[in-house]
Amino acid sequence: MDTLNATIPLEGYLVVGAIMFAIGAWGALVRRNAVVVFMCIELMLNAINLSLVAFADYLPEAGGAGVGYAVLGIAVAAAEVAVGLAVVLAVYRTRKTVNVDEVNLMKG
Amino acid sequence: MAQQTVGQQLIITAIPVLPALVFVVLALFGRYIKEGAQYIAIFGVATSLVFSGFALYFVARNGVPLEFAVNWIDLGESGSFQMGVYIDGLAAVMLVVVCFVSLMIQLYSGAFMQDDPRFAWYYAVLNLFTASMLGLVLAPNFIELYVFWELVGLCSYLLIGHWFEKPSAANAALKAFIVTRIGDAALFVGIIMFWRATGTTSFQGISEAAQAGFIGGSLFTASVVLVFVGAIGKSAQFPLHVWLPDAMEGPTPVSALIHAATMVAAGVYLVARTYDIFVQSPAAMLVVAYIGGFTALMAATMALVKSDIKRVIAYSTVSQLGYMMLALGIGAYTEGFFHLYNHAFFKALLFLGAGSIIYAMDSYNVFDMGGLRHRMPVTFWTMMIAGLSLSGIFPLAGFWSKDAIVAAAFVEHFYVLFGMALLTVFLTAFYIYRAIFLAFMGEPRTEGAREAVESPGIMTGPMVILAFLSVVSGWVGIPEGFGLPIRDYFAEFVAPSEFAAETLALEPPSFSFIMAVLSVVVGLGGIALAYLIYVSRPELATAQAYRFSFLYTFLDKGWYFDALYERLFVRPAMAIGRFVREFDWRVLGGLVSGIGRGFVGAGERLRPLQTGGAQNYALFILVGVLVLGVIVSGQYTFLVVALIAVVGLAAVAVGARL
Repeated sequence: MDTLNATIPLEGYLVVGAIMFAIGAWGALVRRNAVVVFMCIELMLNAINLSLVAFADYLPEAGGAGVGYAVLGIAVAAAEVAVGLAVVLAVYRTRKTVNVDEVNLMKG
Repeated sequence: MAQQTVGQQLIITAIPVLPALVFVVLALFGRYIKEGAQYIAIFGVATSLVFSGFALYFVARNGVPLEFAVNWIDLGESGSFQMGVYIDGLAAVMLVVVCFVSLMIQLYSGAFMQDDPRFAWYYAVLNLFTASMLGLVLAPNFIELYVFWELVGLCSYLLIGHWFEKPSAANAALKAFIVTRIGDAALFVGIIMFWRATGTTSFQGISEAAQAGFIGGSLFTASVVLVFVGAIGKSAQFPLHVWLPDAMEGPTPVSALIHAATMVAAGVYLVARTYDIFVQSPAAMLVVAYIGGFTALMAATMALVKSDIKRVIAYSTVSQLGYMMLALGIGAYTEGFFHLYNHAFFKALLFLGAGSIIYAMDSYNVFDMGGLRHRMPVTFWTMMIAGLSLSGIFPLAGFWSKDAIVAAAFVEHFYVLFGMALLTVFLTAFYIYRAIFLAFMGEPRTEGAREAVESPGIMTGPMVILAFLSVVSGWVGIPEGFGLPIRDYFAEFVAPSEFAAETLALEPPSFSFIMAVLSVVVGLGGIALAYLIYVSRPELATAQAYRFSFLYTFLDKGWYFDALYERLFVRPAMAIGRFVREFDWRVLGGLVSGIGRGFVGAGERLRPLQTGGAQNYALFILVGVLVLGVIVSGQYTFLVVALIAVVGLAAVAVGARL
C-alpha cells in the first residue's frame, strides 16, 4: 500500500484546503471581531497544514518532510494564538473593544 | 654644463627660499612680532642680496651659466617636469636688482607703513612677492616659471588690495588680477602648445626643438605670440595696460616694488629669457616691437595730463616698459635689458619720492602741492636726479640705455619706431618735469604743502642710495664707441646668445654721437617746455588745457580704454553672470525644488492608503502575493483563479464596509 487513502485523489485534498484557505482569508479580511479574525487565521493555517500533509502522502520520496512542516505549522499556530490573544486582551483593557476597525492609531 | 659645488647650489637655492621662509614666519607669527617684522624681513632680503652677489660673481668668474635641476613630476615615458635653476648673466643681474630694490623698499616701508594695522602681514606678502620674483628669475623651464608667475600675480593682488577697506583699492586689486589673468591664460596655452609639439618645457629645449624643425610655421608663431600675450598682461602693455594705473591704490612702496623690480619686470624678463625662441619667429618679433613702440607713445601721452603724481609715474612705467619691449623686438637685446636694469633704480626712486611727498602732506594731487623744494630738499633733489635719468639726460643712467634703444631703432632701419621712440623721449621729459615742477616749484597751493616737513632718515636714506645709483648704474654699460678707456661690461655680460645674434644678423652696436646729441636735445627740449609752461607762466597751462579741452579729456580718460573695455567686456560679462544666476535660480533651482514638491504632493495623495487598519494591510499583502504569483507561475491557473476570486470577494467586502 503506497498511500494512506488512494481512492481519494490529491486534488480532493487540495480543493478542500483551498476552500478552507479562502474562507479563512475572507473572514480575516472582513470580520470585525478580533477573536473571529484569529479563528479565521487558524483556519488558513490549517488549510495549509492539510495541503502539506496531502503532499507528504503523495510524495513518499520526500521522506515525510511535508508532515514535519505541518507539525511546525501547528507549533507556530499555537504560539501565535498565545501572543495574539494576549494582544487582544491588552487592547481590550485599554480601549474596551475588540473591534479591529476601531484600532487604527497608525492611520497616516 | 658647468660644474658647481654643493655649497654654490645651496647658496643659489637660498636666494628665493629665504624670503619665502620670512613669509612663512611672518604669516604665522606676525601678530606677535608686530613692528619687529621689518627686521626679520630686512635680514632675509639682505642675505638674499648677498647671495645674489655671490651668484653674479660665480657667473662672471666661470663665464658659463650655472644650472642644476631635480625631477619634480615624473611622467614615466612621457618625460618629466623639472624644478631647477638656470643663471646666466641676465638672471644674475636680475637677481641682484630684485633683491636690492626690494631691500631699499623694505627699509623705506618701515617708516611709511608704521601705523598700519596689518604691518607684519604687509611685510610677509612683500617677502613672498620678492621670493616669487626671484624664483621666476631662476626658472629654467616654462612650468616652473609659470608657477612663480602666478605667485607674483597673487602677491600683487594682495598688496594692491592691502587697504581693502577702501572699495577703490579692492576693485583695483581685482582689476589687476583679472586683467593680468587674461595674459596668464594665453601664456599657459602657449606653454601647452610648445609642450605638445616639442615634449619639453625647458627654454633651451624648446629653442633647440624649433631649430631642429619639430615645431614651425604658423603654429610656432602662434605659440610665441601667446607667450608674448602673457608678457603683455604682466608688463602692462597695450592693450592690457589698464590695470597698472589703478594699481596705484596700493601703498606707495608697493607701487615702487611692482614697477621697478617685480611684477611688470617679469613680462620683459620673460621675453628676454626666451629670446632664443622669439628670434626664430620674425613675425612675433615685429609684434613685440610694434606693441612696445605703440605702448611707449600711448602711455606717455596719457601721463601728460594726470594730476595724481603716482599715476603720472605709473603711466611712465608703462611707457618705459614699452621701450624695453621695443628694444627686444628690434633685436636690441642687451639695450632692452639694460634699460630694465637702469629703470629699476630711477623708477623705484620716483615712487619713493612720491611716497615721501604723500607721507608729508597726505595728498596725491600735484595741484595741491607746490613750493615743496624748500620744505623737502632731499626729496626734491633725489626726484630731480630720477627725472633727469628718466628723461635720458647725459651722463645719467637713463641716458645710456635709452639712447642705445633709440639709436638701435635707427640703425636697424625701423624708422617708424625710431620716430615714436624719439617723440616719447620728448613727452617723457615733459610729463615727468611737469609733475616735478608742479610739486616742487612755485608757491604752496594748500595748507598741507605749506606745512610739509621732510621725511625721516629711514625713508630718505634709501632714496639717496637709489639717487646715487640712478646716476651711476648706467656707467657699467658705456659703449666702447664713446671713447672712454673702459670696457662695456654690461654688453659682455648680458649678451644675446650666439644663436640669437646669428639669426637676427645684427649689425654690431656702434655709438653714434649724432644720435646721442639728438636724444639729449629732445629730452632737454621737453624739460624746457615743462619749465616754460609750469614755472614761468603757470596761467598758460590752464589756458591751453581749456583750449584743447577735448584732447585734454581724451588723454585724462586714458584714451577711453576703460570706458571701451567697460562696454565691450565688463558689461557683457556681468550680463552673462546675471543670466547664469537667473538660469541657476529659475531653471535648475526650479527643477530641483519641483521634483521635491512633486514627491511631497504624491506623498500627500498616497497618505490615505495608510489607514492604520490591519485588515487593509493584509489585503494589500494578499493582492501583492497574487500579482507575484501570476507573474511567476502562470501555469497554476486553477489556484490563481481561485485566489483571485477570494481576493475579489474580500475586496468587495472590505470596500462595502469602508
